[in-house]
Amino acid sequence: MKQTILHYLLSACVVVLMTACGADYLDINDNPNVATRPPLDGLLASASYNTAQNQFRVSNGHAAYYVQYLASPNEGNTTDTYLEISNGIAWGELYDVMTDLDDLIRFGQEDGLGRHVAIAKVLMAINLGLVVDNWGNAPFSDAFSGETLRPTYDSAEDLYATIFRLLNEATSELAAAADAPDVRSGSDFVYDGDLELWTRAAASLRARYLNHLSETSQYDPSAVLAAVDAGFTGPEQDAAVTSFTVRNPWAQVADNNANLLLGGWLSEQFIDALNGTTYGTEDPRLPLLTNRNDDGEFVGTPNGAGRQGDGTKTLESYLVLDGAFSMESSPLNIITYAELKFIEAEAALAAGNQERANEAFAEGVRTSMSQIGVDDQSATDYIAAEYGSDDVTRDDIFREKYVAIFLSPETWVDARRYDYAYADFELAENAALNTFPVRIQYPNTETDRNAANVPVVTMTDPIFWDQ
Amino acid sequence: MKLFIRSGLMSLLTLLFLSTNSYGQTTVSGTVTGDQGEALIGVSILIQGTGSGTVTDAEGEYTITAQESDVLVFSYTGYGTVTRTVGTNSVIDVELQAGAQLDEVVVTALGISRERKALGYAVEELNSEEIVQSRQNNLVNALQGQVAGVQVSSAGGGPGQASRIIIRGINSLDPDANNEPLFVIDGIPVSNETLTVGGGGSRNVSNRIADINPQDIETMTVLKGGPATALYGLRAANGAIIITTKSGKSGRVSVDVTSTYGTEEVNKFPETQKTYTQGFAGNYDPNSFWPSWGPSVEEARAFAAENGLPRPNDLFNNFENAYTQGDQWRNTVSVSGGNEKATFRTSLSRLTHDGVLPFSTYDNTSFRINANYQASEKFSFGGGVNYIRSGGNRVNADRFNERLVYWAPQADVNNYIREDGSMIGYRNDGTVGNNPVYGEATNKFIDDVDRYIGNLTFSYSPLPQLRINYTLGLDQYSDFRNNYGQGSVYAGAPNFEDNLSNGNGFVVETSIRRRDVTSNINAIYTSDLTPDLNLRFLGGFDAFDSSYDGVTTIGNDLDIYNLFSLNNAADIRTSAALVNRRLLGLYGELSLAYQNAVYLSVTGRNDWSSTLPQANRSFFYPSVSLGVLLGEVLELPELISFAKLRASYAGIGKDTDPYRTNIVYRNATGFPINNVTGWTRDDQQGAPDLKPERTNTLEFGADLRFLNNRLGIDFTYYNAKSIDQIIPVPVSNATGFSTFVLNAGSMRNSGVELALRGTPISTADLTWNVNLNYTSNKNEVLTIFEGVEDILIGSSFGYAGSSASIRLIRGEPYGNIYGRSYARYDPSGDNEDNLFIDYSQPLLIGDDGFPVIETEQKILGNTQPKWFGALTNNINYKGIGVSFQFDTRQGVQKYNQQGNFFAAFGTAPYTLNRNETIVFEGVTADGSPNTKPVWLGQGEGPDGENYGAGYYRNRYRGSTENFVEDADWFRLRNVSLSYQLPAALLETVFIRTAGITLTGNNLWLETPYSGFDPEGNRGNGNGDDGFGGFTYPSVRSIFVTLNLGF
Repeated sequence: MKQTILHYLLSACVVVLMTACGADYLDINDNPNVATRPPLDGLLASASYNTAQNQFRVSNGHAAYYVQYLASPNEGNTTDTYLEISNGIAWGELYDVMTDLDDLIRFGQEDGLGRHVAIAKVLMAINLGLVVDNWGNAPFSDAFSGETLRPTYDSAEDLYATIFRLLNEATSELAAAADAPDVRSGSDFVYDGDLELWTRAAASLRARYLNHLSETSQYDPSAVLAAVDAGFTGPEQDAAVTSFTVRNPWAQVADNNANLLLGGWLSEQFIDALNGTTYGTEDPRLPLLTNRNDDGEFVGTPNGAGRQGDGTKTLESYLVLDGAFSMESSPLNIITYAELKFIEAEAALAAGNQERANEAFAEGVRTSMSQIGVDDQSATDYIAAEYGSDDVTRDDIFREKYVAIFLSPETWVDARRYDYAYADFELAENAALNTFPVRIQYPNTETDRNAANVPVVTMTDPIFWDQ
Repeated sequence: MKLFIRSGLMSLLTLLFLSTNSYGQTTVSGTVTGDQGEALIGVSILIQGTGSGTVTDAEGEYTITAQESDVLVFSYTGYGTVTRTVGTNSVIDVELQAGAQLDEVVVTALGISRERKALGYAVEELNSEEIVQSRQNNLVNALQGQVAGVQVSSAGGGPGQASRIIIRGINSLDPDANNEPLFVIDGIPVSNETLTVGGGGSRNVSNRIADINPQDIETMTVLKGGPATALYGLRAANGAIIITTKSGKSGRVSVDVTSTYGTEEVNKFPETQKTYTQGFAGNYDPNSFWPSWGPSVEEARAFAAENGLPRPNDLFNNFENAYTQGDQWRNTVSVSGGNEKATFRTSLSRLTHDGVLPFSTYDNTSFRINANYQASEKFSFGGGVNYIRSGGNRVNADRFNERLVYWAPQADVNNYIREDGSMIGYRNDGTVGNNPVYGEATNKFIDDVDRYIGNLTFSYSPLPQLRINYTLGLDQYSDFRNNYGQGSVYAGAPNFEDNLSNGNGFVVETSIRRRDVTSNINAIYTSDLTPDLNLRFLGGFDAFDSSYDGVTTIGNDLDIYNLFSLNNAADIRTSAALVNRRLLGLYGELSLAYQNAVYLSVTGRNDWSSTLPQANRSFFYPSVSLGVLLGEVLELPELISFAKLRASYAGIGKDTDPYRTNIVYRNATGFPINNVTGWTRDDQQGAPDLKPERTNTLEFGADLRFLNNRLGIDFTYYNAKSIDQIIPVPVSNATGFSTFVLNAGSMRNSGVELALRGTPISTADLTWNVNLNYTSNKNEVLTIFEGVEDILIGSSFGYAGSSASIRLIRGEPYGNIYGRSYARYDPSGDNEDNLFIDYSQPLLIGDDGFPVIETEQKILGNTQPKWFGALTNNINYKGIGVSFQFDTRQGVQKYNQQGNFFAAFGTAPYTLNRNETIVFEGVTADGSPNTKPVWLGQGEGPDGENYGAGYYRNRYRGSTENFVEDADWFRLRNVSLSYQLPAALLETVFIRTAGITLTGNNLWLETPYSGFDPEGNRGNGNGDDGFGGFTYPSVRSIFVTLNLGF
């Protein structure tokens, strides 16, 4: 019987032993594939790369259609015809990037990484700018923490104040960051850690956002010009990303279109503005941007009308892989020297400085021409034919800026400030609105999940700077 | 873990050592088995003429002290009584014959055999014949129609393709949750996962239970609800399938050979129009992208003759021609035998299967050995090892069928490759247009699984009433997946689009290692407290350790177009994942039986899970079940031969997936770029305060038998409510995440299961058995976290905004299909917010004369059947057996993606009216009947109006309503005809048994669904159920099986 008791004790021991070491045994729930504290150079890499990608996501998602750079091959397409759209993809990606930037600023401040923090603030301003200019009010001061399930919204005006605050802080922190640890080589996809270029970009962005206020009482052209003076001094300073996972996203659109996943069809508005239909002179940039159709013509697709033929013949012009903005490694621009020159021209005109406006305008057009690959003579001929020695007008500035910053989401801000007054610019066919859209809807992710806070708006309610 | 195994082994070794001592008392012992060889528990053994006696233990074994020439009386309810006289032999083994039909012993949780009548919950069991009846290679499919409450669905009829099994409805709101039961083989929980990594999702790789050779299975028991599975704990919260493999029997060595040949073809094709050929707007164009929007073939020929074009072909029926006949061989040899001490069985099996879709293959080689040794009266041990190698070329049925829609019917899809190896397309002289057959020939996904399942069991009985069992199990496999696409034969050669998506050809290699280790020790104590009251106590402890290691390497842009090695790729990317999970469980069960009439069981289990936060990782849950045999308590009318009532309750706890308790940062998508890695905050916020889910199940049932057991009815009602469900709740992106993991919802499944069994004829020569089962499950989503409108389970693409989605909302059942519809006249706007279409209202017709599309998504159907059931007949006449099974699924809908494409490309037969002018029935916005005639064709109509892309492309395809179809069916699931040679004929030869069986599956199908057989789903996930169309089609198959015993 003794043995029997021993048996019981032994089995009991086994059970107790297993339970006793259970605590350690079960402590294996830290995910071994990921980090709890990210490498900050890695956060910067992703955020800087995706800040450029977000320009594409906003543009290809809706802005390029509203400004009629692009048109859908499908008749009555939702985006083309101003039906309710929200571009939830871009919204989600913008908040993803801003979340990473928020972490980068927070962790960077903890670790004394002044360069990283300053660059992150510029990038934050760029992404936040896209949010405000496309959707208006948005969560920011209550965002990113993961502590609240339903973040509250800040007003668009307050967010503009935040943009300027971020740019100002960045400028002073960039000046003071020389002693901070370097950015790992290759991790800053825009300037590879060059503080001087970031300082110029911050000033250029300041000029852009100050200029957005052109229709408000706060507009101060001299402040814009002061920012321009601290901004880019040449096209080699453009804020752009030139390295990609596979290829430039616009090149991907062109490639997909060639493989019958249709997209990147150029709008009749854009083509006609360049092929001589609207203005009489054929723009030498056009053959460098798109294809001729089977008849040797440049033909755009009217927005809302859809494709002309049955798809078996090339009847229209598209984004193509040898187009200047849609090559495999074309730069994906955030803000360029050419854009800054048109901002300067507009502000100078508003400030009454016609001469500065003329010079800036000519420099903007020439920069665009040379960047796209037009030779100097053709550029000169085009400028002579279209503008001669006349003083530049506001219409001229918007016309040329429209071409120079082709595919940029910034053009939709211009279009609204300009009240869509481009020559021959018309509502899309089958338009669902009787005016042009001036904002887009909040995405389902907000209306479903944050209904208590999301403002109720229509696509004809203007952003505060659009009056 | 190592420590555990070692300590467990040590203690067992100690036990083994101690067991060699004996008590020095003279006793008679033995095993009592049923006529199937199963151990009988609780058999009463009395010494005649005395008051003393005992009962058998969990292994069917007994020990009793007796004098020589004492007579032992063995009795067991439902079985006959046997008497034996004690002689000089101290071992008396007894086999009891089942006296009454259905009074069997069943395997319950932890592999413990118990009398069915003693259970307070429903259990169903399939025997080896029922398992191989339909010759299904995937063990899960063998359950089709066999068991009430069990729903089996598959991703079609591809070789080795995954099947999905759901017991008593979907239990979880989480789109990623595993809703399938736990599979246990010989006491070892084994993996039944379907891993989609490396592209396996679109290729429908096997669920891992498909590895198991059905011919190795002795019984398969289905434990359906909480009370039945409470002892297994959280992993069996969705039920459990307990599989017992065949083991050797003492006696002579026997060799069995089974050889099966099967042939198969697609059982149902969609109808297509056979009039219109390539082109658009009725204009013929052999270079057109559009396969069927051109003119009729005659018109095309006239046009071609006038314009000097080659004569257009007759239309091929490519949908049927693209599929071939499939065939398969399965050969199994098994050898078994043993003596009184030791038994063994070993089997070797080989399956080769070529499917109906070109290039789809699956092979399975399986080797198994089971051995048991009775070391002493008190100690026995045994074990089993199964090695499996499985895999094949898994085709992409979705892409194949999609490309068939684009393919112009005037080109022969089987003419797919040129002599130089490049693709033949359907347009521009064959230089353009993806050929789906060429695609499968050059774009492959081959998986190669090596799997080891092993178990070791030790059993020690220090006292007659006490038995201690220890089981150690291992389930380990490696899965090597190789997906590649061929580069172009020469620069610019026609090639399949998918081969070029990221450069010129690609190779994706994935290697996976999964290892599950289980350790389980328990003790069973039985005792007669009084002659009327038996007690049985079970206590035990188990540990489970699971690890997963997967690496996927993608190589794009091949240098040599047909060298499918990563060494040949220009652009290489790798990602890796490690996942670990551990569970511990302490459990106990107390069972009382009073006068063999009232049975009460109480269980308790405490689980510890590594996946939950430390503070909440330990959780306890109980179950209670009661069974009352009315016949033993009161006098039943003669008509009723048996009556039992059951009631049970269980509250099972459940953990969650690993790594859901904190905030993490992961590699950013698209990186590395230029050798730089990117990091980003993960979109999911884990919660440090998660608590376990609970499923509370209440079950009532009755088992009634009439007319001397010739007719039996088993009825079960269940109600299972799952609360505190752990769900990734979608949140505003502005939070910095897209989901928060929270305890955030509850849902209920309630239903009725009914099984009717009858024996209309039972004579010496002829028996006829009929089984009917019926299941009806009702599901309701009770709560979802406040502020979350709905939970998206899955969606399927449709053209022009007609994508269908499955979403969950409060108060509605699981599986509602949402999509666009034709707007109905609704002048008051009353129905604007209604989620359902008001079918009583006429269609709203627009100013253009066409139906208006309602863009607000409505509920168009539900993916879960209202009820399903099956009717099985077994007739036996002098060695000839005939059986047939009909099954049905009713009140279920499905989104037919292929139908949507058929509308868009003019393939559907109803598009034959494309050149007609009609007036749509309905009303205009002001309520007056529509009178506007419209032309259905493309381009300029007879009335001079421009109709653009035409009605079918502009309108019809944009209404999801048109493609959510009733997917009910009636089918003849299985017919089997078998003949066993009479033993008398074989007396003079060395052959012991010989038989031949003819089997037919899916010989007849009746369904309103217009696509392939609606049983096939897009895939095996929660979000695939209810989406079909471009699936691997189901098959009709015929098998011949020869079995010989030596």
